[in-house]
Amino acid sequence: MRRQMAHPDSDVLAEYRAGLISGRRGAGIAAHLSACDHCAAVGGQLAEISVLLAAAPVPAMPDSVARRLDTVLAAEAAERNDAERAGAQASRERAAHPRRARRGGRRLVTVRVLAPAAALVALAAVGLELSHIGGPANSGTASSAAGRAAAPSAAASGASLGPSAARLGLSSNGSESHALPLLGPSLTYKFYNSPTNYQRSTLRAQIERAVRAPAGPAESPSAQIKGCVSRVTRGAGLGTPALVEKARFDGQPAIVIVATRDGSYTVWVTGPGCSAAGDTVLATQSGISAP
Amino acid sequence: MPGGTGERPSDAELLRRHVAGDSEAFGELFRRHRDRLWAVALRTVCDPDEAADALQDAMVSAFRRAADFRGESAVTTWLHRIVVNAALDRLRRKAVRPAVSALDEQTFEALVAHGADPARATDTRLDVDAALRILPPQQRAALVLVDMLGYSVNDAAVILDTSIGTVKSRCARARARLLPHVAHLRDDAARNRSASQSVSPAQGGDA
Repeated sequence: MRRQMAHPDSDVLAEYRAGLISGRRGAGIAAHLSACDHCAAVGGQLAEISVLLAAAPVPAMPDSVARRLDTVLAAEAAERNDAERAGAQASRERAAHPRRARRGGRRLVTVRVLAPAAALVALAAVGLELSHIGGPANSGTASSAAGRAAAPSAAASGASLGPSAARLGLSSNGSESHALPLLGPSLTYKFYNSPTNYQRSTLRAQIERAVRAPAGPAESPSAQIKGCVSRVTRGAGLGTPALVEKARFDGQPAIVIVATRDGSYTVWVTGPGCSAAGDTVLATQSGISAP
Repeated sequence: MPGGTGERPSDAELLRRHVAGDSEAFGELFRRHRDRLWAVALRTVCDPDEAADALQDAMVSAFRRAADFRGESAVTTWLHRIVVNAALDRLRRKAVRPAVSALDEQTFEALVAHGADPARATDTRLDVDAALRILPPQQRAALVLVDMLGYSVNDAAVILDTSIGTVKSRCARARARLLPHVAHLRDDAARNRSASQSVSPAQGGDA
């Protein structure tokens, strides 16, 4: 018989058990294991670890995460629809997908499926207008929402993100309901193309001014903006979006997102490429007092 | 045409419909597998917020890159691969910042002590989570797929984009690293068993 080898360390025993050590070295370990109770016990424990890990329950996805992901994927679908509607893309899309005509029907299905979400959101948005945002009523919000609603496919994409994001905020307050009346699609925040050049040093004061005085007529945010807002505010979990501006920050193009929570405002400034898929937050400030 | 009314479309069919412009197909595909994808993300990054972010990154990426799927693996394998990559990316970025992913042993012991309430299943689960947290991310990802979620070493190698030998080696080193904590894991499993028995006696045992 070969001489008794020293106890192999646990890494070696684990590798042996995984079939990674063969040949003469493997035979040596096998011989050692058959003669050494200590190492045999270690081997047994290694096997037990696999069994114990397999027995650990698989956690179900929390509802909040499921809703957030649904929101984000709906935003992606809306963004894709937006892109398809854009003229330049349309012809390329037609060439790539000759079955495009069938999708008209599917879009209508989308509208129907999303309608309950839109209802929840619209109500959330109205409530927020009254309780937090205040200030002069801005007809731009409503009219831009109506403008989007004019085309069925636009209604589908308009309803799918901003509204769902607000739905997240609503349900996090524990007041989710399935019996709300359909109020029609509505944007949950005001969006402007703003001439403001926000500065890091004066951001707080500038935001306080911006939430008091609109930068002009509210516009309809693109799907990219909606995705960005949903992402940055964690599906409204970090605050309910109140004001979003495409503006400048320290002279560079930026997206400015203001959300309200517990009576004060938080602002995030992101790079212009921010979307549901990624963001670069250039600056953020919270605890900005509401007017 | 396949996928008529009442017939459940396959994963590959859903993905094909998504690429063809169906705006609901991808959402359905995701809902079908979300608990498993969530488990992979959560177990890999060991933090619910990070897991949600990673899963979001992954699903947006999968949504956009669906046309690249060539069918050389199962759709679920492809989805898992994107999720694991997103999770490891998050950990990599996080490692640059001071709050590092891997806990030291002292923190681990504190977590184990904290989670020692035998009455609550969520607390007992902390033990497995805490144990996983002491592993380096690459080892953890391999062990989660093979030992926890029951993937074959071959599938795990495809998901992790590495060789079978590397998967085996990462799993082996991870198990060896968990060896000092086998007693905690054993207690944890016993508590989970008794918890599930008290909830549903009919399904007790190993099912």
